[in-house]
Amino acid sequence: MHPSVAPAPPPTVAPDPSAVEVVDLHRRYGDFEAVRGVSFEVRPGEVFALLGVNGAGKTSALEVLEGLAPASGGSVQVLGADPRRERAAVRPHLGVLLQTSGLPGDLTVAETVRTWAGTLTTPRPVDEALAQVDLTGRADVRVRSLSGGERRRLDLALALLGRPRVLVLDEPTTGLDPESRRTVWRLVRGLVDDGAAVVLTTHHLEEAEELADRIAVMRAGRVVLAGTREEIAETQPATVRFTLDDGVPQLPVPAGVEVVSAGPRVEWHTRALQPVLAELLTWAAANGVVLRGLQARAASLEQAFLAVADAE
Amino acid sequence: MTTLAAPAGPSRLRRVGALAAAETRLLLRNRTAVVNSVLMPLLLVALVPGMGLDDRTTGPGLLTAAAGFTLVFLTYYNLVTTYVARREDLVLQRMRTGELSDGEVLLATAVPTLLVTVGQLVLVAVGVVVLDLWTAPVDAVLPVLAVLLGAALMVVLATASTVFTRTPESAQITTLPVVLGTTALSGLFFPLSVLPEELATVARLLPLTPVIELVQLGLAGRTWDGEVVAGAELWWAALVPLGTLLAWTVLAGLATARWFRWAPRR
Repeated sequence: MHPSVAPAPPPTVAPDPSAVEVVDLHRRYGDFEAVRGVSFEVRPGEVFALLGVNGAGKTSALEVLEGLAPASGGSVQVLGADPRRERAAVRPHLGVLLQTSGLPGDLTVAETVRTWAGTLTTPRPVDEALAQVDLTGRADVRVRSLSGGERRRLDLALALLGRPRVLVLDEPTTGLDPESRRTVWRLVRGLVDDGAAVVLTTHHLEEAEELADRIAVMRAGRVVLAGTREEIAETQPATVRFTLDDGVPQLPVPAGVEVVSAGPRVEWHTRALQPVLAELLTWAAANGVVLRGLQARAASLEQAFLAVADAE
Repeated sequence: MTTLAAPAGPSRLRRVGALAAAETRLLLRNRTAVVNSVLMPLLLVALVPGMGLDDRTTGPGLLTAAAGFTLVFLTYYNLVTTYVARREDLVLQRMRTGELSDGEVLLATAVPTLLVTVGQLVLVAVGVVVLDLWTAPVDAVLPVLAVLLGAALMVVLATASTVFTRTPESAQITTLPVVLGTTALSGLFFPLSVLPEELATVARLLPLTPVIELVQLGLAGRTWDGEVVAGAELWWAALVPLGTLLAWTVLAGLATARWFRWAPRR
């Protein structure tokens, strides 16, 4: 070390805390542009979900994050490094679960985990890895003989084996039974509580609602909707439904209501659910009207997703 | 700027060893593969003395033939099949998601085949001694070097060949140029000196020929056109085949780096 004659450096600015930073990512195959300018950021202790129908570009975007493919444009940083060019630096901290990947069928579950552990910097003990995904009882079974769900859990065990700080999960629970799915969710939550950053893709809205702190909905290579699940749901109007009996007085339509169906089975859409309901209930009470089957429902993530994900 | 801590990971040797051990275990569990890897080339080599070609029944001739056939039929052919099978089974893509580098994945996958290659040649050498056909080599380094470089070349020729091989089955066709073409004109079946000069020159530039030339030079001190040399002349004669061998290795390595696919075509 050479002696420093320069004045002491200014107090360290807090380093950029994002674990994953994607800026204007593009990915092109020949003439087809699968990812067309996607940006997002994931912090430690956060789960970020990419939602979208098949072909929306989710996997293509993740492959750049995983360091398996180059970006055609834009930049991707994982823990401050380029996951492709600085792969050797990133990989010890990155856990990857591909949408589909193979394993030699003639190794046992324990042999498979042991082999993978032998290639890692800070592997978990094999027993712990198997217990994590409830495969302890299947340790000596050949991979060929596992069920689809067991295979997927083994995949996950391998992805978690190196104690990653960043976890990329491409459709982690597709094909899993509900119980295995809950196991996966519990694992992911545990990792996030320990400070890991998780990026996952899913078709299952339930999964995004259950796990994700923030969600981005992709369509045709672009993010068309992003935010917390509440923010996304709020992009769609709430729904009010009820049925009117014959002979009731004329129903006034409150301001801010879009009438989907006028009656006798009434359906309204509104972005001002509370005042509209108040006005409706006041009118009903004043006129002695019974609103049969009254339902008032804020928009769901599903509604918002369906509104944008499939639109042309 | 990178903020990544760099904890000391397992050494390259240890992590390649971990995967190579698993691959070796897989090979041993696949009876068909064991038979194909061990028995077939042995049969081929065993047939050579029966072919009654000039001095094929002598120790150096037998060893030279064993080196050529083993490298092509076992090392090269097996590796093309293995790499393509691993790619189509999505295993290569998975191995790429870990800490192993691309080269380490390919090397570890090749280890069992390379071990069998060495085992085969040792076996033939032992056979030569037992049959009392052994003669002390003129230069012991050259044949060993030739087999090592030849094996390295077969690995990269195999990785390059996966580029145009879609399934493990189609490897039977796509490996023909190397398996038949280079073997036929390698000097294994007839001395290249019987060919017209231009054709002999072309034959000497094929990938397997330099291996045969170098083994022959080292074991018997004989050059490709039958001249017997020794000492400095021997290494002088080795320069062209060594250069050819390295050039092919670099070429196939570059082709691999440029075109190798880790996942099946979708």
